[in-house]
Amino acid sequence: MKLLEVNGICKSFGGVAALSNVTGYSLEGETLGMIGPNGSGKTTFVNVVSGHLRSNSGTLTFAGVNIAGMRPHQLAAVGLCRTYQAVRVFSALSVRKNIDDARLLLESRGLEAAEIRELTEWLRLDRRLDEPAGSLTLFEQRRLELLMRLVLKPRLIMLDEPVGGLAVAEVNEMITLLQQLKARCSLFVIEHTMRVIRELADRVMVLIAGEKVADGPPAEILQNQRVIDEYLGTAAHA
Amino acid sequence: MNSMSKIGIAAATLVALALPFLLAGNRFLGFVLGMTLISLLWASGMNLLSGFVGLMPLMFAGIAGIAGYAMVYFTRTYAWSFWLAMPVASLLAALIGVALGLPALRLKGFYFTLCSLVIQSVLTLAFIFFPTFTNGDTGINEIAPPDWFGGGALTGTRLDFALAVVAVAGIFFGAWLMRTHLGHKFVAVREDDVLAESIGIDVVRTRITAFFIVSLYAGIGGCFYAVYVGFISPRAFDVLVSLNIWLFVTFGGRGTILGPIIGTAILAPIPFLLQDLQAFKDILSGTLIILVTLLMPGGIYGAWLTLLARRRGREVKTIQAREQGV
Repeated sequence: MKLLEVNGICKSFGGVAALSNVTGYSLEGETLGMIGPNGSGKTTFVNVVSGHLRSNSGTLTFAGVNIAGMRPHQLAAVGLCRTYQAVRVFSALSVRKNIDDARLLLESRGLEAAEIRELTEWLRLDRRLDEPAGSLTLFEQRRLELLMRLVLKPRLIMLDEPVGGLAVAEVNEMITLLQQLKARCSLFVIEHTMRVIRELADRVMVLIAGEKVADGPPAEILQNQRVIDEYLGTAAHA
Repeated sequence: MNSMSKIGIAAATLVALALPFLLAGNRFLGFVLGMTLISLLWASGMNLLSGFVGLMPLMFAGIAGIAGYAMVYFTRTYAWSFWLAMPVASLLAALIGVALGLPALRLKGFYFTLCSLVIQSVLTLAFIFFPTFTNGDTGINEIAPPDWFGGGALTGTRLDFALAVVAVAGIFFGAWLMRTHLGHKFVAVREDDVLAESIGIDVVRTRITAFFIVSLYAGIGGCFYAVYVGFISPRAFDVLVSLNIWLFVTFGGRGTILGPIIGTAILAPIPFLLQDLQAFKDILSGTLIILVTLLMPGGIYGAWLTLLARRRGREVKTIQAREQGV
């Protein structure tokens, strides 16, 4: 079943077209990857889908509902949420308070305390609950960001460079976490680290200069001559 | 809320409720107390927005003015009781405030402040140019004190005590509000509105609700100000008044319940007690605004909490974080 459907999305800033006529979909339970050079419009795509920006034209459908023009908080309520390229947590508040704030949306309809404890242990934040979130390491903050989204009972989480800035060992651990996460909800992942795409994505969309140039299984996409020429540089990279 | 805050609030409550009787023999000190109590109500309202939501509403005094003038209009024109005119006027002022503030509430931080300054200026001009309701620059004098059961009027010590009850109620309502889900949303919006929105908090709606509640504080305070002083003019509700209340909040410690109480208790009586140095009043508050902004962004109570936390060897990012139960 198609979960997210975008059709003919255009977005321009002044005279610069950041996205031109992007069309695609993601399936329920699928992990869709998105790759492309810097400035190719990946984050703009997430911003448009997640309600942070309005597209100039095109249609957006999530779980059969037209979501064009909906604000991020409304999208969170229908199960579509995102994380940020530059990690965002309430730095001055404790980890516990961060989690509690994410619970404000669903209140009593949300996860049980036991389920949240389980998630906290799974993401290894259970010993950090009383620390200010700003004092956490980047990796811990990224896990907290993820936890705050899971509390929203999402159907799709859009991750904007989930391993950006992480050390090699942390990248490995994050990939493992995300692989386990796939059982819980659908994912959309922007990444420059091809290992993440190769090991996580069921399908990959390639964006170059605001246009979708390829869409298919990772193995196929990473051998695509145009993708190699314009983005990956050498085939060895893949 | 920590135990020190609880003890502080309990002590402030007792002092506020006892002082009207202790100062009953001295009408001048009684008046200084009354003005301080009105400021206390205003400061706890202002704190909800500037301390907890992170917006500085410079039109605060203007909204208080709308309520004050409306209350006088209702009592004089329709012979309403103060106890009917006060809530109606405050509600009206809060609704007008929200309507005027609606475009500004989509903005954040500095831009909201700038917009609120413009609204305040417009309100001050409106008070001058609609003499039907305000008697223009001359102002309205001989405003009757609130009526009371048995045909009498609420004056003197009894009115001081009524102000103490209202101020304490304002403080307790604020403290209660900050423990509700809405209060938690306030803090989330202050800390990071983009993140707040992406975890499902309706940021604009939260700001509007906060602004409405804060406007009610402003309005109720404005009505009591009018009957307490007996005279209102555009000067009583100009931007300097908003800034002064902001100073009380920030000097004591914004984003905490106890801070604004401390700030108001220290600063509000000063202009009355230094009556001979009238010329220095504005210079003094101006200097304090600059000093507090530069040296003590967390205010007195904030600085104290940070000191305490350092002694315990715990890193604390901001004082607000502690107050929020971190």
